[in-house]
Amino acid sequence: MTQQIPLTWFLYFASASFAIGLMGVLMRRNAIGVLMAIEIMLNAANVNFVAFWRYGTAPAGEGPLTGVMMALFVVTIAAAEVAVGVGLILLCYRRWRSADVEEFDGLSG
Amino acid sequence: MIQALFIALSAFGLLMALGTVFAKNLVHAGLYLVAFFFIVACQFVMLEAEFMAAIQVLIYIGAVAVLLMFGIMLTRNIQGDDTTIVTKQWRLLGIGAAGSVLIVLVLAINSYEPWTALAVRPEFPVKQSTTTPRGQAIISMTPAVGREMMTRYVVPFELAGLLLTAALVGAVVLAQYDNADEAEALAESSKQSATTS
Repeated sequence: MTQQIPLTWFLYFASASFAIGLMGVLMRRNAIGVLMAIEIMLNAANVNFVAFWRYGTAPAGEGPLTGVMMALFVVTIAAAEVAVGVGLILLCYRRWRSADVEEFDGLSG
Repeated sequence: MIQALFIALSAFGLLMALGTVFAKNLVHAGLYLVAFFFIVACQFVMLEAEFMAAIQVLIYIGAVAVLLMFGIMLTRNIQGDDTTIVTKQWRLLGIGAAGSVLIVLVLAINSYEPWTALAVRPEFPVKQSTTTPRGQAIISMTPAVGREMMTRYVVPFELAGLLLTAALVGAVVLAQYDNADEAEALAESSKQSATTS
């Protein structure tokens, strides 16, 4: 490899994906669509973790794999979140016959 | 060469993310999401974190995307595909909010000198005898991850296991039929449709 990729390129990609995911969270009416957009945002954060791990210098006494371990735990929590989220959406769908987030307003004032 | 590859892959990935957000048909959106996950796995490979790429393919494409697909197919029939995106003024607001977040992030990345100057990764000596623990972890990441999981990160590891168990039980309890007459009504309707058909 003669040319290297600068760190900022990975950061730009991650921030662009994060912005797209935020757009999806704000614009989707279907609850599953909102979940998918949240997954995009979590992936953007993971790219940032791994990029900073690879480009930064290793902190003393913190082990060789700091960012990767953080990203691994993010993946774990994302998997748990999707399982519970899909269960909740199915419950709401059975109760109100809809997966539209605008109809789930039982807690609004 | 590698830079051109990165730009092409990133552009494709961002297009797929946009497709996930804007696709009218939710099944198409799920397929775009799979492509986006795969591009993120490619980025992990470019960052020399091959183990993360494998985890990304296994968990995100293999489990999360399939689960989301099941969710889409189970909640799909009544609500039409045209109601999946909000009305026009909300759409403008969403694009505006996301665009301003993007501008703030890009300006912040651009203005921080230690990040913009970082174009070369820290080298690691490839020779087995002279390599650092970090270089060793990059060369063979899977045993390093296992060792870290069992030593330094053992408490978060156990907590993650507890969380996954709780999420498993919670998802089963949530998706179960909790309402007896609702289940009865469902059985009734299926019996009726069976007799009519």
